[in-house]
Amino acid sequence: MQPTKTARAGKSAVGVKVPHTMTERLLILLSRYREASIAVVAIVLVIYFQFGSDGGFLSPQFMSVVLRDTGRLGLVAAAEVMLMITGEIDLSLSAIFSIAPYVMALLSVTYGLPLAVGALIGVLIGILVGAINGIITVRFKVPSLITTVGMLFFLQGIVVSIYNSQPIVAPVEQPFNAIFGQSLYQPSDALLSWHGITAFTPFLWAVLVVLVLALVLNRTTFGLHTIATGSNIIGAREIGVRTDRMKIYNFMIAGGCAAFAGIINTAQFTSADPQAGSPFLTLQAIAAAVIGGTSLLGGSGTVIGALIGAFVVASLNNGLVMIGAQATVSDIYLGAAIIAAMILSIQVDRLRTRRRV
Amino acid sequence: MNTQTIPPLAPDAPVVLEMSNISKNFGAVTALVDVSIKLRQGEVLALVGDNGAGKSTLIKILSGFHQPDTGTIVSQGKEVRFASPRDARAQGIETVYQDLALIGDLSVFHNMFLGREYHKRFLGLNLLDNRKMREQAQLYLDTLGITIPSVNSTVDLLSGGQRQCIAVARSIYSSPKILVLDEPLAALGVRESAHVLGLIQNLRKQRQVSVILIVHNYNQIFEVCDRINFLHSGEVALDASTADTSEEELIRIVKSGLGTRAIEAAAAEVRPGLV
Ligand SMILES: Nc1ncnc2c1ncn2[C@@H]1O[C@H](COP(=O)(O)OP(=O)(O)O)[C@@H](O)[C@H]1O
Ligand SMILES: [Mg+2]
Repeated sequence: MQPTKTARAGKSAVGVKVPHTMTERLLILLSRYREASIAVVAIVLVIYFQFGSDGGFLSPQFMSVVLRDTGRLGLVAAAEVMLMITGEIDLSLSAIFSIAPYVMALLSVTYGLPLAVGALIGVLIGILVGAINGIITVRFKVPSLITTVGMLFFLQGIVVSIYNSQPIVAPVEQPFNAIFGQSLYQPSDALLSWHGITAFTPFLWAVLVVLVLALVLNRTTFGLHTIATGSNIIGAREIGVRTDRMKIYNFMIAGGCAAFAGIINTAQFTSADPQAGSPFLTLQAIAAAVIGGTSLLGGSGTVIGALIGAFVVASLNNGLVMIGAQATVSDIYLGAAIIAAMILSIQVDRLRTRRRV
Repeated sequence: MNTQTIPPLAPDAPVVLEMSNISKNFGAVTALVDVSIKLRQGEVLALVGDNGAGKSTLIKILSGFHQPDTGTIVSQGKEVRFASPRDARAQGIETVYQDLALIGDLSVFHNMFLGREYHKRFLGLNLLDNRKMREQAQLYLDTLGITIPSVNSTVDLLSGGQRQCIAVARSIYSSPKILVLDEPLAALGVRESAHVLGLIQNLRKQRQVSVILIVHNYNQIFEVCDRINFLHSGEVALDASTADTSEEELIRIVKSGLGTRAIEAAAAEVRPGLV
């Protein structure tokens, strides 16, 4: 008996079908380079706004505004992507975004605790809330949509009741504020000076976090098991992946990222507003994630795509106003973009499965 | 096609696995009642029975995926308790599940090494050694004579047969002590089946690995198995050696020992359309 020969002969009969039509090839290309395709959309958008605003869009002042929004949104979007890959979602991130800096500011004005220490506590609170979300979801088998909506109201209720819904003016402690979001940039400053860089710190932090998450997702066992959990939870469990833990850990990462984003926001405005993060922030972050190429079905997603998606959302929000549209018009485009991105993503997935022999 | 003769299992081959009095209920559904099976060093044991007999449940208890309600598992002379599939894999028990447990969104080589990844240190970080896993996967699949378009392609792009081959290859790769295969031939064509049976036959020749094989085709059972356990309504209804039993005899025993419904089911498995 010659197993090798038999198998070779047998295997050559089956193979992966080669895509034929142009549309199929295009969809395959899109599925392989999701980040690249959303980057093309972003570039087209920039060119459009640049011409529409007679060159104002790419000015340092305006880019600072857009990239700050991108950073804040991108952090929350990347956090959401990690969870969406495991097949879960977190709608309480906006409340974490509010409560973490609120605690930081409160500890500072009441006990004189340095902002840096308060920030650390804030991030830990975010991670703890994430852990609670995760444990409720996996242990009690409550769908995360419900768990986190409950958590959203719960936290929002707590944060407004602490101080009668009053914003707290947070002290300015340099270099903390400058490092974590306050802009010291004046039009007279050079872009590559320290002051110039502070114009973009929220974005730079988001880039750093996204790169770390991308590394974790694509180059570590943790990332591999995160994808396995969302792609085929039974199969992953059968082969020994601790799927419950993977979900809980990713809830914790998401909570930590949202808290960090909230702290950056407060460092920028030197004020902690109990309603800084409206649920709308989470929805925009999910929009950014979906536009960036992450599907809600689990098993795949890209944090880099989410950051570019956040840039697209921030550009739409600010750019349309700049070229003279009503502020609300951007929502029309955003809504259409979400649906279009989702249709495209499902088409790509369907094509992949259709290619199975 | 069976040109080589496999010497019979030594009568004094030690028992490597003993599952005793295993029972399992899923709520109101009784899947297993007091099932005991024994597996000896190097033996290939066929587990047969109609759909819903509890075969998959039994092997999922062995693999640590389910925990038994009652009963004990003794592996290599020690009583073991598997809280999760990790524990069983750590003890050298590898399972190819009926659903294959492959991750569609991951590449073939990541699937091959899922749960036992190779790492390399990079800037003090413990990163995946993708190159090593890719090379090892390719090398190993080549050795087994399994060809696929690329070890880089995601598993959801492969055919059912190719996936089944990947799952089998993954289970053999780590040189397990006990190999459990739940219907590994289900999605395979004639030639692919012969190939996987050949792999099992090779293991049987060396008598290093003990195998539990769930199959439906009696020809295949007589070709590669030393012993056969017939599971019926959650109980072991028959335990026979394939060397001492002929196919016809086996059917007769199954008939005499069981109720008419089971006989019909068993006979239909052997000779579809005859009863
Ligand atoms: N996770 C589960 N939950 C509930 N019932 C189950 C589960 N797994 C198996 N069963 C039931 O246990 C019985 C045995 O199933 P199974 O072990 O899959 O049989 P087989 O593999 O022999 O076809 C069936 O009645 C099946 O419906
Ligand atoms: Mg089964």
